[in-house]
Amino acid sequence: MTSTIRARAPRPIFGRKQSTNPVIRAVVRHALIVCALAILLYPLVWMVAASFRPSNQIFTTLGLFSSHPTLSNYTEGWGAGRLNFSRYFFNSFLIAILSIAGNLISCSVTAYAFARLNFPGKKFLFALLLGTMFLPFQVTLVPQYIMFNYLGWINTYLPLIVPHWLGVNAFFIFLMVQFIRSLPRELDDSARLDGCGNFRIFTRIIMPLALPAVGVVALFSFVWSWNDFLGPLLYLGRSDLWTVPLGLKAFLDSTGQNSYGGLFAMSTLSLAPIVGFFILAQRLLLEGIATTGLK
Amino acid sequence: MELKGITVNIRSRTTTIAAAAAVALLMTSCIGGSRTTEAQSAGSAGKGEVKGAIGVTWWGGDQRNRLTNAVADMFVKEHAGVTIDRQSADWASYWTKLNVQAAGKSLPCVVQLQGRQLNDYTKSGVLIPLDPMIDSGAIDVSDIPKAVVDAGRGTDGKVYFLPYGVAYDAVGINTALAKQAGVGLPAEGYTWDDFVSFLTKAQPNLPDGVAAANLQGGIPGAFLGWAQANGKKLFAKDGKLGFSKEDLIGYWNMWEKLRKANVTMPADKAAEELGPDQGFLATGQVMAATEIPGNALTAASNTLAGNNSSQSLTTIPYPSGPNGSGATALSASGFAIAKNCQNVPTAAAFINYFTNNPSAGKVFAADNGAPSNTKVLDAQLADASLAATKKHELELYKQIVAANPPIIVFPPKYQATFEASFRRNYDEVAFGRMTVTQAVDKFFSEANASLGQ
Amino acid sequence: MTSGTTPQQTLTKTSAGREATPRQLRWRSRKAREAAAAYAFLTPWLLGMVLLTLGPMLYSLYLSFTRYDLLSDPKWVGFANFVQMFTTDSRYLKSVGVTLVYVLVSVPLLLVVSLLLALLLNKGMRFLTAYRVLFYVPSLIGASVAIAALWRMIFGADGIINQALAVFGIHHSSWVGSPHDALTTLIILAVWAFGSMMVIFLAGVRQVPRELYEAASIDGAGVFRKFFSVTLPMLTPLIFFNTLMATIGAFQAFTGAYVVSGGTGGPVDSTLFYTLYLYLQGFAELNMGYAAAMAWVLVIVLAAVSGFFFWTARFWVHYGDE
Repeated sequence: MTSTIRARAPRPIFGRKQSTNPVIRAVVRHALIVCALAILLYPLVWMVAASFRPSNQIFTTLGLFSSHPTLSNYTEGWGAGRLNFSRYFFNSFLIAILSIAGNLISCSVTAYAFARLNFPGKKFLFALLLGTMFLPFQVTLVPQYIMFNYLGWINTYLPLIVPHWLGVNAFFIFLMVQFIRSLPRELDDSARLDGCGNFRIFTRIIMPLALPAVGVVALFSFVWSWNDFLGPLLYLGRSDLWTVPLGLKAFLDSTGQNSYGGLFAMSTLSLAPIVGFFILAQRLLLEGIATTGLK
Repeated sequence: MELKGITVNIRSRTTTIAAAAAVALLMTSCIGGSRTTEAQSAGSAGKGEVKGAIGVTWWGGDQRNRLTNAVADMFVKEHAGVTIDRQSADWASYWTKLNVQAAGKSLPCVVQLQGRQLNDYTKSGVLIPLDPMIDSGAIDVSDIPKAVVDAGRGTDGKVYFLPYGVAYDAVGINTALAKQAGVGLPAEGYTWDDFVSFLTKAQPNLPDGVAAANLQGGIPGAFLGWAQANGKKLFAKDGKLGFSKEDLIGYWNMWEKLRKANVTMPADKAAEELGPDQGFLATGQVMAATEIPGNALTAASNTLAGNNSSQSLTTIPYPSGPNGSGATALSASGFAIAKNCQNVPTAAAFINYFTNNPSAGKVFAADNGAPSNTKVLDAQLADASLAATKKHELELYKQIVAANPPIIVFPPKYQATFEASFRRNYDEVAFGRMTVTQAVDKFFSEANASLGQ
Repeated sequence: MTSGTTPQQTLTKTSAGREATPRQLRWRSRKAREAAAAYAFLTPWLLGMVLLTLGPMLYSLYLSFTRYDLLSDPKWVGFANFVQMFTTDSRYLKSVGVTLVYVLVSVPLLLVVSLLLALLLNKGMRFLTAYRVLFYVPSLIGASVAIAALWRMIFGADGIINQALAVFGIHHSSWVGSPHDALTTLIILAVWAFGSMMVIFLAGVRQVPRELYEAASIDGAGVFRKFFSVTLPMLTPLIFFNTLMATIGAFQAFTGAYVVSGGTGGPVDSTLFYTLYLYLQGFAELNMGYAAAMAWVLVIVLAAVSGFFFWTARFWVHYGDE
């Protein structure tokens, strides 16, 4: 960055030339933001509120509060269909956790190799990695289906989990590469002097320091897996294998106006883990997310 | 190095995690495995021990799922050693899933089908004929009307699915609204022209926001009814369209006239309508709806009652042709057996049980049309606790069956191509993006390109 | 630890042809060990690359020249699929049009909205963390079935959007039911999830060195000038990154269109996204060869678009270390 150093003392950016009261400016700014947030989040809040209203009152009001709050949508919606949502939630969790584990392991080892090691073909392979980040998934959709079909993996969770154990998410690898590159090499060097091999350096030094990146990968892995719809649509035919998105979709089709209550209740429950997880970990994550675009 | 202490932890933690992950992975491949259990002797005549595992798949909403599962539970109870793996889906996803399962030769043993799609599957040979099982008595059809059994035949004449529930398309009318509009019900034997004037007369007297009819120019079933009433051939021998462009032009013009006169729902509202049990007829926004399946009467009436108890619905047969011709066609649903089934005797036994067993019939309560088995049907009608709307549906069915209705043999790709294309092209007209002639031309070229292949 | 190019020499001779010294040998074998270790670390990814990416891509290329319905063997038809796509299949061209409109409208809107809000949030204010979190939530859940279902409902003829408009005296027909508006609901859905882009811009904006703004102030620059001459140029790498990712993402959109249109592509194909049409062709009608051909056309188009982006980046992206 270049800038000439001025001879005078640095002036504050907003000096006495300012005409409006800074307090008013701040208030206006906050007001604008809150307005924007209100509009943005209203549908979501409305849906949550609607899930506590009796079914026949859902469509009648724009407002949030009802005279007869009820939990019936939750109890009825939960038990919808033969296999209720407890099964769907369990399935979604199982797939998500296994996917997260796979992603963390496979993406971090790959990232370590690209960030810290040298080997013939590195440039080519890294270009390949970047290329796959931009590859549309449609081009592998059909052949993967055919392959999994041939292996007999249809109606199992394997097609949804195994790819994550093989580093198929180039975005996560790239994210971790950028992060690991930012860690000082002196740590590696001193560990090597102590006789550590690559694996030890990886597990004892790099990974513990890469927590923000790990957090980002874990969160996104969870969100993408939890929200994944096309994968389960293709591979999970049996209703006892369904994940939450499939359960919600079935809800939508087989019911109508009078059962939107149940749909909203289940939707609220399906969104809660994501939002909750995020809010708890947000400071760590937002820093991590923000820095990836910058390097 | 102070890291040594951490080393121990990390390492043991890593191995534990790795072990747990491996176990979990193994677990999931077992949980989800669809490999069939011990292969039974294929027994094409359906005779053999009834035990082991079969898969059963069907489409439906909440209620249908519940009832079907109840019957499956009963079957399992009566036949120790049998397990049933149940797969259900909503109508739209059902066919996509079935297609890919058929392609992967991993269809469940017992597959629910209708005539409309049957020949997509018989063409690719993924079902086995049920005739040997009928002959050997494993599947009993003695109490099923011949016309109904014939509804399960494929293009080669063999029976591929056994109808258990027979539906028919009907016209639904909201009697309270009809009275308010001063038109009552159409007279018996009414024609399509009568129906049009019936609707047009009613519209001015209906409350604001209520239309006389649904916009159903794009519903294939309604068109089939009209075509049959007017003596048009539906499909040619090779599966291509058997009626002429002028026929369809006339039909769509009829609906366009109604739509432009605001006698029907506007096109955009019609586009977001949900299924018959929650559609506009059921919510009192429309006075008449063509092409509601007869068995939706009860569900739709319940919805209506839930909203506005003073109104009620009834169904009447389709309009007939100019000389009283054209009886309502039947539309049967039933179970078929997949070729890749490893447990044919149990599958056949299940189908037989579902269709013929009186207690099963009682539990299922004619949820998918009138029971094909006349004894079961009569038992339903004799039941004093039967809802009035259900009774009406079943009696109307008997009336229709007695008139020897035609059975439509649908060519392959009917459901995937004809229906989708028909709807879409009519919508182009309804939204004012194409003229009727253009849309008809487009429909003909799209349909004829794929039908029958 | 050295970094840089890897030696290509044999293990025992130097480039000058002389016998290597023991020190050089140790260095080379260390290099070899490093390479071996690297490949060991890369094993999962390499496996995945071959089995799940490259292999399928090649197979997909082969399939795009065949007719294949999974039931019988693939039948070679040469370029017939591609010809059909561009000449006789009007639904294909329709899906291309729908997707292009979606991309060309939603991506710029996303950029503008997220940049504006990032600027608004930029002043180290109270509640910044809370605001950031709240803005981010929609983008976490925007691609879910739950939100798509909600969207379908609120944009219906009697949904809350129309109810809100009615308060202002505007009577609108059903959004999801009419061909003009159905796509708009999906664009709104895409822009609703601008939070993730905003967070990245926010971080970028906060990293612009204060000295630059001070220098500009001293030169008499007002707010707008400061934005266009300082903020915007400094943000160009991020704009580039965000635009590229958003464009590629938009071309691959599926869940929203599927759920809002009920799996059909909307009233008269007005929400028939490219991916949705590909899915319907491949999995509903079992024209897998045709679907593969569609996928490859998309790959080529995206490669061209990315290539174009990278090439033009030269002219407008300023990296801070130049």
